[in-house]
Amino acid sequence: MDVSIINPLLTAFTEVLPQLGFQSVERRKVSKIEAAFQYNGILLNISLFGTVKGAILFGMDIEAAKKFASKMMMDMPVAELDVMARSAISEMGNMVCANTCTQFTKIGITDLDISPPTLMISENGEATLPVPKSIVVNFLIDDIELSAYVSLMNK
Amino acid sequence: MSAIKVMVVDDSLFSRTFIVEILRDSGLEVVGEADSYDSLIETYERCKPDVVTMDIVMPDIDGFECSRALFVKDPNAKIILVSSMKDEESEAEARRIGISGYIQKPVDSDYLVQMINNVMAPDIHYDHLLAYGLEIFKESLTQNISRMTKSPVSFTSYENFGDHYLSQGITAVTGLIGRHSGSMILDMSMETAERIVEMLLKRAHRNREEVLAMVAELANIIAGVACSMLNKSDKTYSLSVSPPSLFYGTGTEIMSPNLKMDAVTAETNFGNIFLGVGFKKGSSIWM
Repeated sequence: MDVSIINPLLTAFTEVLPQLGFQSVERRKVSKIEAAFQYNGILLNISLFGTVKGAILFGMDIEAAKKFASKMMMDMPVAELDVMARSAISEMGNMVCANTCTQFTKIGITDLDISPPTLMISENGEATLPVPKSIVVNFLIDDIELSAYVSLMNK
Repeated sequence: MSAIKVMVVDDSLFSRTFIVEILRDSGLEVVGEADSYDSLIETYERCKPDVVTMDIVMPDIDGFECSRALFVKDPNAKIILVSSMKDEESEAEARRIGISGYIQKPVDSDYLVQMINNVMAPDIHYDHLLAYGLEIFKESLTQNISRMTKSPVSFTSYENFGDHYLSQGITAVTGLIGRHSGSMILDMSMETAERIVEMLLKRAHRNREEVLAMVAELANIIAGVACSMLNKSDKTYSLSVSPPSLFYGTGTEIMSPNLKMDAVTAETNFGNIFLGVGFKKGSSIWM
């Protein structure tokens, strides 16, 4: 997978997250990843289909996810990752991926659409991405660490 | 039947008044007005409208931003964007984030009222998907398991998806993309998956990857066959299947926070297979 495929997602992050109350979106490391990986905390899966297909996943540990949800809910305290907090994080994923599709239209890929988000929570979880060689981008968003897994292939 | 309750968001006093008058003249109930991001959420929570009309271009913030804030509060909010600007990119993104409709200024009163009625009216296609979608996926699962393994499948309803579902071991999440996009969740224990592999390959599994690959393929086939059946029943569904992501490990909780899932447990000779399917309502008529 060509690493430039992450550019629409990077643009989407910088466009959408400030609108959700975040001050700083800092891209850290970009690396290639094998299909299978381990995670600890949450993974939000959103599927894409069109000229490219696959999925974009967002991973955070539980504490980061609580902070993230709190920020989205105007700094409301989030002691547990409850229904409201999960819903907020899912909406973030939905909006970022919707905007990613819009960014893809600027490079000529106009037919993408997304599925509703599915959220996984596990202490020692493992996942296999739909595409064998994928890309993970580490972000620091207002001091909250978030990993975005871009797993897309040409149809 | 009580009147549809509408909230109007527009920074222009004239535009707001104009839209409010149209709505009132048409027998709709205007329960709130907001002219900025600051008053938006508070007004929405206080007046609990059925539908929000939202200007896109406002001084400090745009309607997309306001819509995103509303969806964080209420993922089921029904929003109609109203704007003098209307381009393909904005329309497409509006659809993807769950905006119900998009209407161009100057507002045609008949169009606006018709769109609000459409947004609130039952969607026959969507209702059909909700009523029969799971049945079609059950049929697909039965066909595939029976054909591949020559063994029977029976179902028990699973009413407890609610907030979350605790995985038995391996979960395949498949995106269903179309007029009403959705997700399919297929979940089984590692032992069940191993027994299916053994049946299909007529030997014990060699490694975990082989078992995981079978679950991904099974999910892909079940979703693909079910979507084909649904598309045959009504081609406007236009459903396609995105390749599944797999999740495994002990104690994985699975949830679909903003989408209601209908679910069953398939009882097979190899063990129980959980099947969950959900679709979200698409956008209403675009004018």
